[in-house]
Amino acid sequence: MSDAELSKILYVEDDPDIQIVAKMALEAVGGYVLHVCSSGQEAITHGADFAPDLILLDVMMPDMDGPTTLKNLRMIPSLISTPAVFMTAKVMPSDVERYKELGAVDVIAKPFDPMTLATRIHEIWSQHHGG
Amino acid sequence: MAGETLTMEQKLAQLRAQYAIKIHERLDNLAGVLGDLAESEGNVRRDLLGKVRDTTHKLAGSGATFGFPDVTTVARKMEQMCTSVLDGQVEDGENVDQELSKSCNDLCTAAEIQGLQSQKTSSDVPRASVPYLHGSSRLSILIIMEYDESTATQIHLEMEHFGFVVRIIDHPSKLMDDIKNNGPVNAIITGLLFDGDDDIALSTLAKFREIEENKDTLIVVHTVLDTMVSRLGAVRVGAKAYLVKPIDMADLVDVLDRITLRHEEDPFRVLVIDDDESLARHTEVVLQSAGMNTEVVINPMDLFTTLDDFSPELILLDLYMPGCDGQEIAAIIRQRQEYAGIPIVFLSGESDKDKQLLAMELGGDDFLTKPIRASHLISSVRIRASRFRELRSFMVRDSMTGLFNHTTTKQMLDNEIARVLRSQSKMALATLDIDHFKNVNDSYGHAVGDRVIKALARLLRQRLRSADVIGRMGGEEFAAILPDTGLAEAETVFNQIRQAFSEIVFHTDGNAFNVTLSCGVASFSDYNTATDLSDAADKALYKAKSCGRNQVVSQN
Repeated sequence: MSDAELSKILYVEDDPDIQIVAKMALEAVGGYVLHVCSSGQEAITHGADFAPDLILLDVMMPDMDGPTTLKNLRMIPSLISTPAVFMTAKVMPSDVERYKELGAVDVIAKPFDPMTLATRIHEIWSQHHGG
Repeated sequence: MAGETLTMEQKLAQLRAQYAIKIHERLDNLAGVLGDLAESEGNVRRDLLGKVRDTTHKLAGSGATFGFPDVTTVARKMEQMCTSVLDGQVEDGENVDQELSKSCNDLCTAAEIQGLQSQKTSSDVPRASVPYLHGSSRLSILIIMEYDESTATQIHLEMEHFGFVVRIIDHPSKLMDDIKNNGPVNAIITGLLFDGDDDIALSTLAKFREIEENKDTLIVVHTVLDTMVSRLGAVRVGAKAYLVKPIDMADLVDVLDRITLRHEEDPFRVLVIDDDESLARHTEVVLQSAGMNTEVVINPMDLFTTLDDFSPELILLDLYMPGCDGQEIAAIIRQRQEYAGIPIVFLSGESDKDKQLLAMELGGDDFLTKPIRASHLISSVRIRASRFRELRSFMVRDSMTGLFNHTTTKQMLDNEIARVLRSQSKMALATLDIDHFKNVNDSYGHAVGDRVIKALARLLRQRLRSADVIGRMGGEEFAAILPDTGLAEAETVFNQIRQAFSEIVFHTDGNAFNVTLSCGVASFSDYNTATDLSDAADKALYKAKSCGRNQVVSQN
């Protein structure tokens, strides 16, 4: 697994402002390819077509929240083991544990710094792949 | 890559500005919901509380990303308050409404203050890209506050020659309006006496200083008064220099140079060698976010090209790579005389101290263990690179002018030609010589001659871009290498410089005199070896001299 390259990220976030800045932070700075979905439903419908290496989800979204979205994504065969990362403004240690139980490999605190978001994602990816 | 970071910063600044506009609308909505909340009860109230929670959650999650950290702090507090009430941990009541509406006011204040700051930074950003234009690279804006018109005009003229933009006002009462109407300045040169009033200038400047954005403006006092009281007054408004009339223009330019040079410290150049491209790119981003220039080498076999083109001031080296490892690369770099002193820092996951020490023996200066915190990496790199730059400046620079010395300029010409050959771009070389310099030395002494040389060095630095290489080739002879510049453009630039130099008035013991220069320009498109190009520029210079001096001649 250690030579796996992170390239495609499926990103689920309802706030258009955050979408733009995250897209810039991850594409322009990080050099990743991002597919943005504005709702959990959209991710479930179209996410698998994009064949992401990593799924990045906002926790609190209207209609369907991040954890529910992830549960649903996990039912799609090709996304069963895709590493997932939550982004949330509410990082409580108990929540982090709960998200990890749902299959998240890590949690990124919001608000994030656009200049270092890509570095953070890269760290998470490297750790997940053992170095 | 540096260019990309700049646009990234610009884009971010734009997004911040857009967010700053939107946030007011959101806060208005929030205030409306809070108004409804105060008059509601039961399930309607619960719904509204939920709405406030969601809105503040969003604000908390985005504020700091867009440069509004205080918005995040206050919004988070409000969100927690709503959650506690909804969960029944806090009793609902009037105090909740009061608390929320007070916080909402705090939010508005935070948005207002930081919005202003973000406007400031966003308007600052485009200026950062200016240094790539000829003749506009090192502009500093000055205000001269002087009642005596002829003194003001004299300073104005001389300062413009050195590339300063000058605005004159004849009374301190006009200072604030001028800044409001025409924008901020880097420095104010002020007299102290206006209509017999020796307090008005200092009291105006004291008020000027109280405004936060003026605190970096340099104040220079230039006056006939030389008393303890007036000097103390000047110190109290933060004046950095006190020059007593009649003024020696060289002193004034020296003082102003100090500020402009401080702001123009070139970014450190760091070479990152790592076979893991994504890791290397991230190291780049971290260093670029600290304002450094970076280049990445993924394949160690490509090292020499990048090394010579980029001339790094520090090398970050991965210890384990396929093909050859970091220790071997360090040893190879050290074999080349010109890189014997460059700091090499190993960056690796290796935590075995013995192996780290072995790596250092083979030419490494430091060992940083991955993962390393961004702030540690930045400061570690900055400390070593700045020491290297200082040490190297003793070897490569001319001590009188601070320009590159003869050897270094020649070497940089070779490097530049190699780069131009590969990139198929343009490049021009200019050779300059001060006319009848011996006469200056003979008539006014060597100290005055030195001042003339320094003035030309300063003028070249002010008028050329940071990417241009300026060298003092010896005595009164100078050379300049201009990348990405054609013959005609170079000729125009040096004609402007020639004109400006000829208008500088040098003063000594009651004498005032002017000096001129001659210049030869040649282009890489016509002469494509270092020797041919240098010879062509010299030949053009010789023509300029024999055709009457004080002119620029192109060789093609």
